[in-house]
Amino acid sequence: MKISYNWLKWYIPEIPKTEKLADIFNCHLCEVESVEKKTDDIIFDLNILPNRAHDLLSHQGIARELAGQLGIDFKDPTEMYKIPEPGSTNLKIEIKTDKCRRYMGRIVRNVKVGSSPDWVVKHLESIGQRSISNIVDATNIVMYDSGQPCHAFDLDKLEGEKIIIRLAKEGEIMMTLDGKEVKLSSVDMVIADEKNVLAVAGVKGGKIAEVNDNTKNILIEVANFDPVSVRGTSKRLGIITDSSKRFENDLSPELCSYAMREISGLLVEYGGFKFEEVIDVYPGKQEISKLSFSAGKISKILGLNVSVKEIEDILKRYNFKYKNTANKFEITVPPMRLDLTIEEDMAEEIGRILGYDKIKPKIPSIDFKPKENEIYSKIGQARNKLLNEGYSEVMTYAFRDEGEVEVMASASDKKFLRTNLTDRLKESLKLNQLNAPLLEMDEIKIFEIGTVFKKDKEEINVAYGDKKGIKEMSLDEFCKSASPEFLQEKVLPLGDLRQDLIEQKFKMWSIYPFIVRDIAVWVPENVSSKDVEKIIKDNMGELVVRGPRLFDQFKKDGKNSYAFRLVFQSYERTLKDEEVNEIMVKIGHKISENSSWQIR
Amino acid sequence: MDNNRKGKEHPLSILAEEAYKVFSDMGFEIATGPELESEWYNFDALNVSKDHPARDMQDTFFIKNQKEKVLRTHTTNVTARAIEKAGKEGRLPCAFISIGKVFRNEATDSTHEMQFFQTDGTMVGEDISIADLKGVLTHFYKKMLGDDVQMEFRPSFFPFVEPGLEVWLRFGNKWLEVMGAGMLHPNVLKNLGLDPRKVQGFAFGGGLDRVAIVKWGISDIRFFYQGDLRLNQF
Repeated sequence: MKISYNWLKWYIPEIPKTEKLADIFNCHLCEVESVEKKTDDIIFDLNILPNRAHDLLSHQGIARELAGQLGIDFKDPTEMYKIPEPGSTNLKIEIKTDKCRRYMGRIVRNVKVGSSPDWVVKHLESIGQRSISNIVDATNIVMYDSGQPCHAFDLDKLEGEKIIIRLAKEGEIMMTLDGKEVKLSSVDMVIADEKNVLAVAGVKGGKIAEVNDNTKNILIEVANFDPVSVRGTSKRLGIITDSSKRFENDLSPELCSYAMREISGLLVEYGGFKFEEVIDVYPGKQEISKLSFSAGKISKILGLNVSVKEIEDILKRYNFKYKNTANKFEITVPPMRLDLTIEEDMAEEIGRILGYDKIKPKIPSIDFKPKENEIYSKIGQARNKLLNEGYSEVMTYAFRDEGEVEVMASASDKKFLRTNLTDRLKESLKLNQLNAPLLEMDEIKIFEIGTVFKKDKEEINVAYGDKKGIKEMSLDEFCKSASPEFLQEKVLPLGDLRQDLIEQKFKMWSIYPFIVRDIAVWVPENVSSKDVEKIIKDNMGELVVRGPRLFDQFKKDGKNSYAFRLVFQSYERTLKDEEVNEIMVKIGHKISENSSWQIR
Repeated sequence: MDNNRKGKEHPLSILAEEAYKVFSDMGFEIATGPELESEWYNFDALNVSKDHPARDMQDTFFIKNQKEKVLRTHTTNVTARAIEKAGKEGRLPCAFISIGKVFRNEATDSTHEMQFFQTDGTMVGEDISIADLKGVLTHFYKKMLGDDVQMEFRPSFFPFVEPGLEVWLRFGNKWLEVMGAGMLHPNVLKNLGLDPRKVQGFAFGGGLDRVAIVKWGISDIRFFYQGDLRLNQF
């Protein structure tokens, strides 16, 4: 959620400097995904956690949270908004499904659709939203401000002044505001008049009652819908909106009253509009909930001694109503804090507000005797055996083009789980054989230990092989076929950590092709391979990525023959044969400068 | 043994072995379990309700013609099975560690893969706390990445823990989230046959691939599953 620094400042004038703010968010609330500096504002993109989406997908929510965290004043906005003097109304609201927990409607007549005041445009644009018209902007301001989605319908396009909240008929069609036709099913909740579907509840408004420049009278909707229902519909239709995102995370229906007050107050400011009374149908009344916890239990969960006083201090800063009797706290949970239901939730609340850095790490010592894990030991033994025999380990994808177990709706084109390791190992063998000079291996030998999936069971297989072929069998078979000594070899977890790993860094390979050249030299018996190697090294230049590697040597007639392999490759381009030949010629010349050395 | 002729291990195997050593030293028992898992152990037992977004098709691989089966999305299923069994056998307190392959149905890029390795651990006892969780994980990352590793424990949310935390590591000039963690939710303990009034415990889980990125500077996690020996540099 994009949060504007200036917007927050409305509510918490003592807000700290922005540099400090990012740390406060990260350590006490949620991740800051980005901080964007604008000419006269700073925008934080906050990754609001799912259990706080009830109240934190809003500027007020964040401001309230910061005020509590920092113990600074929060300016209650309720008083800011003028209350219109409403006339009587003929609006009727009928809720026909229990998926709608509350619906508030208000008719506003004599509206003038036009552009929004500067501050509205600025606020919306600061968080990446476009200004549309004064009416639509007001609904959006209320959503980003309080977290409550609102909607405005053009009243004169409705079939009478009656709103019905019901489930759609199977196959019912609606054209959305952005001109997309959606086909509804009998589990989708809609807002309708006597004739047409006006909106998909909580997800998207319809074209029929769209507010445009000619709109004279409007109906304001502030409602609360069941989160599972909205999520289901949003998923089925493939339409995700700022509104659906909020509803699917569950909002408090109590929020509606405030939001109706805010949007009415905003419209009053535009001047000249005539307000009718609010109709409020509220069948799913939210009950007041209480939560008890003790400082002792909180301390036990956190592993930090938290005093009664520290807890009281937090409760006061956060404006929780509470009682403290006989070492038990009892709070009245604020309606918006749907995340607070059990004692552990309060442990989280206290823990994150104090900051988890306050908790001193300690290594527990428990009375538990670990047993050996048989499967793990077998895997370890099999791996050790193959490594000792010179096989190198690879891991390959579990997904294949064909198999006996099929996954549904994969993001990849490979929809089946592997039934063997061999197929992929063959591909791996081919790839590595091509790269053999780079790997500096005389022969490519590889293995994989991994799970394969048969129709009704999975099992762990071992596959290993080289150019002569690949063998594959179950882990059990592999271990049975091995000699008894190898099975007695104790594997992990024993021994010290490998110290050599600490300093090592991965070296990325070049994506360009490499060129291999061999050079063999006759030298007198007293000349060592190191002497020859040095001359090659001094003259080979910087394009050699492997070598010179001595791959062959023998003695004959009082002379030594040394054969070296060089692998040339660039990180920037494809090398040409000619340039490599030139380097080889140069090395050759240098070697021939020793009259007793001969290139073979 | 002639070292030159010995084959080279896959980097993730090296890390898994090192991690197992560190946790075994701290008294954890190694647990293994199925990759094709029931929805119960992958989700329901872990307090992930039927309508939780994580069950959405884009994140989870469901299996055709096998209702209630998924490719495990974490190895928490394994440690959950392990503490359930330990509870039945009266082996409390207990501690388990499981490192294995997990699957996420998502588009791949240099930091996302459809399959990756997860390190998952849990410890349950009478008074196991976040202080213990911090101690265990701090020790683990120091052993794996050196004593000067910079870590932060930040607030987060996962259905199976309460309080929920995230572990962040400093990597160059950036912070990288490497693990989710927290105190096992009372519902999870109940689902696994334990009594939340008598025991509590922590759980953590995070990608091993990301440790490899931080440790060695491997730039693309897709390299791990290409069967390419150029990766086996250590």
